[in-house]
Amino acid sequence: MGRRVVVVAVVALQLGFAAQGYWSDHKQFAFQMFPESSTWRADVVRVTADGRRIPIEHPWSGYRWDELVRDRGLRYPSIRHHADAGLANQLAFLQAALDWVAHNTPRDAETRYLEATVTSWHNADPARVGVILSDVREGAR
Amino acid sequence: MNTAALGAPSRLRGVVAGFDGLLGRAVSMRALALLRVLAGPAVLLHLQPFLSDGWEGRTYRDAFYEPYAAWYPELPGAVYVGLLSLAAAAAVAMSLGLLTRLATATTFVIVAYNLFLSTTHFHNNRAYLVIVLGLLAVAPCGRELSLDVWIRRRRGRPALDPSAPAWPLWLLRFECAAVYGASGLSKLVDPDWFGGTVTWHRVVQARDQLDGWILPDWAVSVLTDRSFHTGAAKIIVLTEVFIAVGLWWRGTRYAAVWVAVAFHIAIEVSASVQVFSYLAVAVLVIWAVPSTRDRVLRIDPTVRRQRRLGALVRRLDWLARFRVEPATPGSRLEAVDRDGTTIGGAAALALTLSRLPLTAWFALPALLLPAVRRAGR
Repeated sequence: MGRRVVVVAVVALQLGFAAQGYWSDHKQFAFQMFPESSTWRADVVRVTADGRRIPIEHPWSGYRWDELVRDRGLRYPSIRHHADAGLANQLAFLQAALDWVAHNTPRDAETRYLEATVTSWHNADPARVGVILSDVREGAR
Repeated sequence: MNTAALGAPSRLRGVVAGFDGLLGRAVSMRALALLRVLAGPAVLLHLQPFLSDGWEGRTYRDAFYEPYAAWYPELPGAVYVGLLSLAAAAAVAMSLGLLTRLATATTFVIVAYNLFLSTTHFHNNRAYLVIVLGLLAVAPCGRELSLDVWIRRRRGRPALDPSAPAWPLWLLRFECAAVYGASGLSKLVDPDWFGGTVTWHRVVQARDQLDGWILPDWAVSVLTDRSFHTGAAKIIVLTEVFIAVGLWWRGTRYAAVWVAVAFHIAIEVSASVQVFSYLAVAVLVIWAVPSTRDRVLRIDPTVRRQRRLGALVRRLDWLARFRVEPATPGSRLEAVDRDGTTIGGAAALALTLSRLPLTAWFALPALLLPAVRRAGR
């Protein structure tokens, strides 16, 4: 009885994960490998409280983007990259990275939010441009 | 109430009883023991980038990461690196079979903990590794190919039964097939994939790298041709589906294993997939029939070549397929298959090599030769 429950539960869970991969940005245990040939690039800027838009390629307050964001192909966003696990996954990671940087740069007193202007190519389709914003940082001067 | 309505519950009970019987049937854990040995290096390769960062004083928390849940426990940097080091040590112990159950469970728990620390840690090969480790941890797969067995023997204690209920093996087989099935199905239902756009576009994007390879111009021209990918993509997708389905039937299993190995070699050559290729090929050993020493190889010990073959089989028969027995002097080489079929000479050699993990991929095609097929009838 016990082993039957374990086996049925694991099989059901695996099938559930596989199904979830069709609509979720993060496709954990869905095993959708090499899903797309999509590519993307982004111009990421810090928007300061006084309205300046400063590219993240310029270090600020002792921070460097390529040290803060090292993983998931996000280190050099201005260079066109392959979206390894699909475009939706890649852009979800970019959103999360912008939020993480906004919340984890305490020495930065001037940035209000980060903004990424993303150009993406879903497989061989024409380019699409969109904007992703980080959470707003309260207290920026 | 009619008789059909009465019969339905008893049929259901029969199905459930049959299912329970399948899961509870005692089978050889030899394949899982071999997989346990092979999984250790995969864990070390997987942990290597985390550990090299950690030893240089960097952890995932020093850069962008994204926890799955706020409640998930996170450790101070030094403790985290210590835990990963423990996982590496446990992986070595797991492969060697030293305190096997504890070592395998420790490896599984730490590798899984690390995977679920951040969405950024997730990759399909790591998920597959966690699944494999989890199922190895619940299977008593340390009763063969382990230092535990050697220590037990040295202490004069009786050997433990190397067979155990089959359910971890069945689950791992399901997961193995699910990896190929899910991947193949996702491509099958995607018109861009099945139509060839995705592979063609990837190759075109990588044209610079392609030019760096030692490929003749005509090959580069074919690989970048759109119409080539219309057919090639379908072959790739159907290959994955064939592996997922073919592994389940004896008639197609060897072909599926052979195709899977070739498929992983192609992936390893053309893409960066961390430990996936190695792990996926290693997992294929679980498709061996879970019984041991049920084939016989008869060698003439007076013939040097046969003697050497016997020694080779004893060394490379990691799945314990064969009993190697001496034949009367002057006899030809003979292999007795599981069903009692006896074959001799070159056909026996081909059959034997096709059942050893290290030589199977090279020897399996030989079984298709008409002479070998005739000898097997």
